[in-house]
Amino acid sequence: MSNIHNLTEKEKEIALILKTVIDPEVALNIFDLGLIYEIHYNEEEKSIKVVMTLSTRGCPLGDTIMQNVEVVLEANYPGHKIDIELVWEPVWSPEMLTEEGRQAIEGL
Amino acid sequence: MQAGLSTKNAPSPSVVLPHFVFAALMFLSAAVVLLVAAPQMVLPYHLNPHMLTLTHLMVLGFITTIIFGSLYQLIPVVMEVKLYSELMAKITFWFFGLGLLILVYHFWEAGFGPKQNWLWFEISGTLILTAVILFAINTLKSAFRSDRMDMGNIFVVTGIVYLVLTVSLAILMIINFAHPYIHVSVLDLLKMHLTLGLTGWFLFLVIGVSSKLMPMFLIIHKLPDYLLKYAYFLLNTGIIALATIYYFYPKPWAIMVASLLILVGIFMFLKFNYYAFKHRFRKNLDTGMKLSKAAFLILGFTVVLGVVSVISPDFLSAYQLHIDIAFIMSIIFGFLTALILGQTYKTLPFIVWLQKYSSKVGKQKIPLPQEIYSDRIAKWHMKTYYIAFGFLIVGELASQIWLIRSAAAMFIITAVLYNYNVFKIVFHKEKIIENE
Repeated sequence: MSNIHNLTEKEKEIALILKTVIDPEVALNIFDLGLIYEIHYNEEEKSIKVVMTLSTRGCPLGDTIMQNVEVVLEANYPGHKIDIELVWEPVWSPEMLTEEGRQAIEGL
Repeated sequence: MQAGLSTKNAPSPSVVLPHFVFAALMFLSAAVVLLVAAPQMVLPYHLNPHMLTLTHLMVLGFITTIIFGSLYQLIPVVMEVKLYSELMAKITFWFFGLGLLILVYHFWEAGFGPKQNWLWFEISGTLILTAVILFAINTLKSAFRSDRMDMGNIFVVTGIVYLVLTVSLAILMIINFAHPYIHVSVLDLLKMHLTLGLTGWFLFLVIGVSSKLMPMFLIIHKLPDYLLKYAYFLLNTGIIALATIYYFYPKPWAIMVASLLILVGIFMFLKFNYYAFKHRFRKNLDTGMKLSKAAFLILGFTVVLGVVSVISPDFLSAYQLHIDIAFIMSIIFGFLTALILGQTYKTLPFIVWLQKYSSKVGKQKIPLPQEIYSDRIAKWHMKTYYIAFGFLIVGELASQIWLIRSAAAMFIITAVLYNYNVFKIVFHKEKIIENE
C-alpha cells in the first residue's frame, strides 16, 4: 500500500485522475483537499484500492464524492477491480490540504 | 453503505422542498404586511393585531417552516439515521401551513375587544400544536435512534422540546382568553411565550445546527466546544428561570439576573463563532456565508439592545417600548432572517443538486450546486436586506413611520429576489454541460 507521499508512477497517474473529482461544496478537487490517504495499484491482479476520508463525518455529499471516485476510475481503468475504502482515522484536518489546495482555499 | 456515510439517509426531496417554497412566500407576505401595518409598529402597546400578524408570519411562516424542512434533511444526514416517518412529516406540513394561514388571517381581522370570537384561534392553535407535536415525535424518535449524541445534537433536541413548550403555552393563552380559568397577566404569559420561543426554540436550534455546519462551510476543525457546553447550561438555567419568574416572582432584580444568564450564554455562542470565523481556512466567504456572518454580527447588536431593554435606564424610559420592539425585531428580522437567507444558499441548492445529479456524477459534465441559482440576485438581495434592516431598527427606535415603510419596501424587494432564487433552485431542470 502506498501512502500519498510515496506513490509509484502508475499511482501518480491515478492521483492525477482523482484530481478531476471535485468536492461540490468547496469546489476543490479531493486530492488537493487531502481526502485521499492511500492509493494502491496492483498490476498482476488488475486492481486499484483507494483509501480516503471525508472532511466531516456525516458530510451531506459523502457518497456522491465516493461514487464519483469509483466512476472516474472505472472509466479510466476498464476491467480493473476498484475498491474504495472510507476511513475516519486519522481524522481529516486542514493541515492535510496540499500546497495547491491551501492556495486555492485561501484564494477562493 | 460504509459507516458514517449518511447521504442515503436523507429523506425524499418532496418532504423538504415544499417547506422552502412556503417559507419564501410567507417572507414576502410578511414584508407586504409590514408595509401596510407600519403605523401600528410605533403604537404604545405590543399586543396589536397587525404586530401579531407580522411576527407570526415571520416566526412561524418563514423561520420555523424553513427550520422544519432543514431539520428533516439535517437530522438523518448528521445523526446518521433514517427519518422516523416521511408521511408524518408531510402531514405535519399541511397541518402547520393551514393552521398558520387561519391564525394570521384572524390576527389581522381581530379587534381583541370583549366580543372577540376565539373559535378560529382555538382551531388554528390546535392545528399548529398538533403539527408541532407530530414534528417533535418525528424528529426526536429519529434523533434517539442515533448513537451520535454530541453537543450540537443535544442543542437541537433541547430546542425541539422548547418549541413544544412555546406552542403549548400559546394554546393555553388562547383557551384562557376564550374561557378564563387562571388569573394571570396576559403580558407575563406573553413574555414567557417570547422567552421560550425566541431564546429556547430558535437559539438552541441555531446553535445546534451551526455547530454542525460551521466546520463544513468554513473548513475548520477543533472548535472550542467547551464554549457550547457553558452556553448550554447558562441558556437553559436562564430560560427556565426567566419563564418561571414571569409567572411566580416577577421582581425586576430576578428578571435581570435570569436575563443576564441568557445574555452570557449568547456571548459564549458568539465567542464560539468568532473563533470559527477567525481561524477558518476558507478565507473568502460566498454570499451565503457573508449573510451568515452578518447574522452573528446582528446578534451581537441584538444583545446590546437586549441589555438596554433589561436594564431600562431612567434616561431612556421615554423610549422603553420602542427599544423593546426594536430588540424583538432585531432578533426576528435581523439575526434569524439574515441567517436563514444565507443558509438557504448553503442547503437548498445541495438538496436539489443531489436529487437531480447524484446519479450522473463522474459520468457527465454537470453544473455545481452553486451554479443552479443566480449569485448576482443573491448579492443584490443581501444589499437590499441590509438597508431594510437598518431602516427598520432606526425607524422603530426613532418612531418614524416613513422609515419603517421604507424598510418594508426594501424587504419586499429582498423577498421578491429571494423568492426568485428559491423557485429557480426548486424548479431547476437537469442540465448537462456539453463538452466544447
